Amino acid sequence: MFRLQGSKTLAVDLTGDAVKAKNGSMVAYDGRMAFKKMSGGGDGLRGMVTRRLTGEQMVMMEVKGQGTCYFADRASEISLVSLHGETLYVEASNLLATDAGLRTGTSFTGLRGGASGNGLFTTTVEGTGQAAIMSDGSAVVLRVTPQYPLNVDPGAYIAHQGSLQQHFQSGVNFRTLMGEGSGESFQIRFEGDGLVYVQPSERNTVGGDV
Amino acid sequence: MPFREINSKMVEAVVVPGQKMYSQRGAMLAYRGDVSFTPNIQGGQGGLGSMIGRRVANEAAPLMTVEGSGTVMFGHGGHHIQVIGLSGDTLYVEADRLLAFDGTLQQGTMFMGSQGGVMGMVRGQVTGQGLFTTTLKGHGAVAVMAHGGVIELPIMPGRPVHVDPQAYVAHHGDVTNKLSTALGWRDMVGRGSGEAFQLELSGSGAVYVQASEEKL
Repeated sequence: MFRLQGSKTLAVDLTGDAVKAKNGSMVAYDGRMAFKKMSGGGDGLRGMVTRRLTGEQMVMMEVKGQGTCYFADRASEISLVSLHGETLYVEASNLLATDAGLRTGTSFTGLRGGASGNGLFTTTVEGTGQAAIMSDGSAVVLRVTPQYPLNVDPGAYIAHQGSLQQHFQSGVNFRTLMGEGSGESFQIRFEGDGLVYVQPSERNTVGGDV
Repeated sequence: MPFREINSKMVEAVVVPGQKMYSQRGAMLAYRGDVSFTPNIQGGQGGLGSMIGRRVANEAAPLMTVEGSGTVMFGHGGHHIQVIGLSGDTLYVEADRLLAFDGTLQQGTMFMGSQGGVMGMVRGQVTGQGLFTTTLKGHGAVAVMAHGGVIELPIMPGRPVHVDPQAYVAHHGDVTNKLSTALGWRDMVGRGSGEAFQLELSGSGAVYVQASEEKL
């Protein structure tokens, strides 16, 4: 079971089962725990090769034991996501921990990744269970419905779930070319039905400079 | 309680005449009333002997004495502040994490080797905390800094708590600590889980852990 201890520490109660977490993110535990690095992010050999090729590097460890284990990473705010068979798309650098039963993989994101500074690939988490994602500042969850599409700054995007189509939008005009851009020339547009997680901070992106 | 938390990053302290308070030099943000700040060359309490002790032990954080009557606000570097109340027991904390503390508390320096023997010394080296740590004993309150929020984990007999040395902030109570290693062949070939060294705290008391692996 995942629960939050404050907003920046994740507590996981383990009774002999296992959990996957970002390498080195344990801050404390009581009881008995064993830590094992999962090569290639735990997707098996094929996943490992894919990760190497796509640059969507994610170093995870498997924590197994009895007791309570606490995770935190550089004072990032943590949000919990419950999955019931659907897929969560998250940047590898924003994923803190997942239930051992959840499968992780890599998927192609298209042009969006290039502008959001995350590369062209993203990590997927699917199955039934819980995942913990990290954000710089506490994340807001925005609902997208067919009537209400959402536009997100690529640097502030952290994750999304549900059946969403994403498009890459650019508002580059003559002002941008003159060097008078507003810094909001690129956006990701989400359409469909689902949830988007946005952080109140922006990564350094190509889009943010123009 | 002389410390009042204004928000997670600022504390306010009430200073009354005849009662001293120590704080890290430069940590004052604002004050009301008639308060004087004197740099403390000795770096805290005790006589010349303690001063030399601290210098030798490299636990000499630049402190100042706060006296007078009024209220003072403290904060430093945007770090989170945790106020720990002591009632007769001893708090073990790194000198550079100390923000402010009551003058009624007795300050001392402890050699890591005296708790845990050789492993205690190794622990200090591994965690980058050096061979010595600061102790505060008595009745009063201490304001301690940490990066990110702090959680307090109780330690009960028979239920030791393991802490990442980099996330460790302070502990109090009747607690023995030792460095436990979980070094396996994986670590030797560079495939470690990043959790090879842990601090094992057992006894009865509490340990404070920060939500980050960064030093101050």
